[in-house]
Amino acid sequence: MAETIFKRWSQELTLAGAGILFLLPLFEIQPKTYLTLTIAGLAMGMLLFLVASGVSIIFGLMDVLNFAHGALFAWGAYVGFSVFQLLMKWVEADSVLKNFAVFLMAMAAAMIAVAVLGIILERVVVRRVYGNHLFQILITFGATIVLVELIRVFWGPNDEVMIVPHTFSRNWDIMDVVISKYRIICIFLGAIVYGVIQLILKKTKLGTIVRAGVEDRDMVQAMGHNIYLLFTGVFAAGAGLAALGGVAMSIFSLQVYPDMGGTYLLFAFIVVIIGGLGSVTGSLVGALIVGLSYNYVAYLVPWAAAGVNVLIMIIILLIRPTGLFQAGK
Amino acid sequence: MAEATPVQMFHMEEKRRQYRRAGSYLKICVLALFILVPFLFPSFKTVDLAVQIIIFGALVASFDILLGYTGILSFGHGMFFGMGAYCMAFLLGKYGMPSYSNLVFGFMVAAAASAILAMLISFLTLRVKAIFFAMITLAIAELAIVLATKLSGLTGGEDGISFMMPGIFSVAFSTGNFMGIEITGKIITYYFILLSCLGLFLMMLRFTHSPLGRVLQAIRDNTQRAEALGNRTFVYQSISITFGCVMAALIGCLYAMWMEYVNPESSLGVMTIMLDVLLMVIIGGMGTLYGGIIGAAFLKITQTFLPDLQSLAKDLFPEAVLLHNILERWLLLFGILFILVVIFFPKGVIGSVKDRGPRKKNVP
Repeated sequence: MAETIFKRWSQELTLAGAGILFLLPLFEIQPKTYLTLTIAGLAMGMLLFLVASGVSIIFGLMDVLNFAHGALFAWGAYVGFSVFQLLMKWVEADSVLKNFAVFLMAMAAAMIAVAVLGIILERVVVRRVYGNHLFQILITFGATIVLVELIRVFWGPNDEVMIVPHTFSRNWDIMDVVISKYRIICIFLGAIVYGVIQLILKKTKLGTIVRAGVEDRDMVQAMGHNIYLLFTGVFAAGAGLAALGGVAMSIFSLQVYPDMGGTYLLFAFIVVIIGGLGSVTGSLVGALIVGLSYNYVAYLVPWAAAGVNVLIMIIILLIRPTGLFQAGK
Repeated sequence: MAEATPVQMFHMEEKRRQYRRAGSYLKICVLALFILVPFLFPSFKTVDLAVQIIIFGALVASFDILLGYTGILSFGHGMFFGMGAYCMAFLLGKYGMPSYSNLVFGFMVAAAASAILAMLISFLTLRVKAIFFAMITLAIAELAIVLATKLSGLTGGEDGISFMMPGIFSVAFSTGNFMGIEITGKIITYYFILLSCLGLFLMMLRFTHSPLGRVLQAIRDNTQRAEALGNRTFVYQSISITFGCVMAALIGCLYAMWMEYVNPESSLGVMTIMLDVLLMVIIGGMGTLYGGIIGAAFLKITQTFLPDLQSLAKDLFPEAVLLHNILERWLLLFGILFILVVIFFPKGVIGSVKDRGPRKKNVP
């Protein structure tokens, strides 16, 4: 009897358990602070999702673990930074419309520039080492060195304070709960990107081919689709997502620095290990778990914040080594 | 005496051929050079460079056991190196005092702690996929840096720990002159490090040429086949990882003995130590052990003389801004070199030379 209940409601039970787990900090944190932290955690999680989903899709389809993803992320942040610098007038303008326009332009520029960079990277470097994990990691690590050094050449080696459009730096004050506007924007941004990815994967022919490629690459090739073109496209899309994450994250954390990719790549790895490599929904869930727990723990026990994610990752690896979600879902 | 078996004949032939190879004489020459360094170039800068080459050569060799002989990439090797260094610093500095027993104890604690951690990590990751090892060691190594920095009460934080060496290893110790130079504690430490690294290196050589090492290479080349032949790949890989990490920790102890100082950035850093080690192992050649020494010598000499090179370039070509910029961003060149070597010479310097050798003989 009990067994059947567990079996039938296993998903709902897991969700309920997870929900209770995330309400637990309420014992220690004031409800108002808890709400602020939750919104911050959700925003951070959505931004991590942008980075992690690229790593996850690229691995799922191409079987390539892209260590250069962090460097592409940093490139995105710097391109966005440059756009803000160029259009300083619009950034400082007191109009929501202009602020949003410059924000969208920065994101578009970053996505296009980094997608081109991704295409070059895939064509010149990564393509030579398909099928050999060790060499993929080595070569993308080498690409990281080069890309980060190029950032230092073009933009200088120092940390820069990120320029934030005027509207985004404000807060809302709802019943004494301080909510930063930008965090809400981040949550929406992540949700929109997730929706678009799911739509493309589930509703278009291209998405069907990509999903089929995750299941069985050789078969897709045998059916007459140019899998290498698909690889390049997916790599570019992943790079674009990383760039989007880079712009959004640098406004979130208010700074850009050449090595910033490393930090977030690490988060992305933890996210995809938790969520399951190759799964977009898994990346979203993993990113939210990491973002929320990081914020709660950083408030309660500041020095343990970095450790809690590694701990969650280890627990997941012990009970479900392939991650929470299956590849391709 | 009975007739020798074919295997024995082969071994005897190998032994005889050893004296005819240039390689074995080259090795002796390099060793002799390192022995004579304090006498030939008594300046501290050169001796320090020699120590860096020795220590990083051995560290790269231990990394090569994982990368080249087991086919597993670990980003946590710098962490194990730093663990050894911190064990030394704790026992001789922060929580102990300089004494010979603490020195020996430091080596033992470092070996034990790194063995336990390496085993835990390998058990955790290898049952999923070998590539998880790279991701998870990266995460754990970053965590180690954060903990070493944030828990400043325990570890000294960003400032690190400086400590003194006991007895004959201490800077103040001196036994008077020998062959024109003063034999100080530093010189004795130099020879201690040289001897220890030589010992560790021979141990690693023995490990890779043992039957166990052969199985490891079989697993690296074809995991499924090695498994089908009845080898428990998981056990062998864990043994190899643990061995490599213990070696790294011991070398870290030696590094701390020379520096007499540890901090998170220089001893644990992923982007400092791991970057160097990866460049060295790729340039020198994976799966050769000796390649590490070449890679370490190349990189460390470049790094040491880079400031001189930069000022030289400024004096000679004051107008060539591009040259100055490139020398300023030398890592860019190394990154490009790294990618090119991985694509075109995946076996590195030593591997390429070794491949060249037999082919030449066949040409009449």
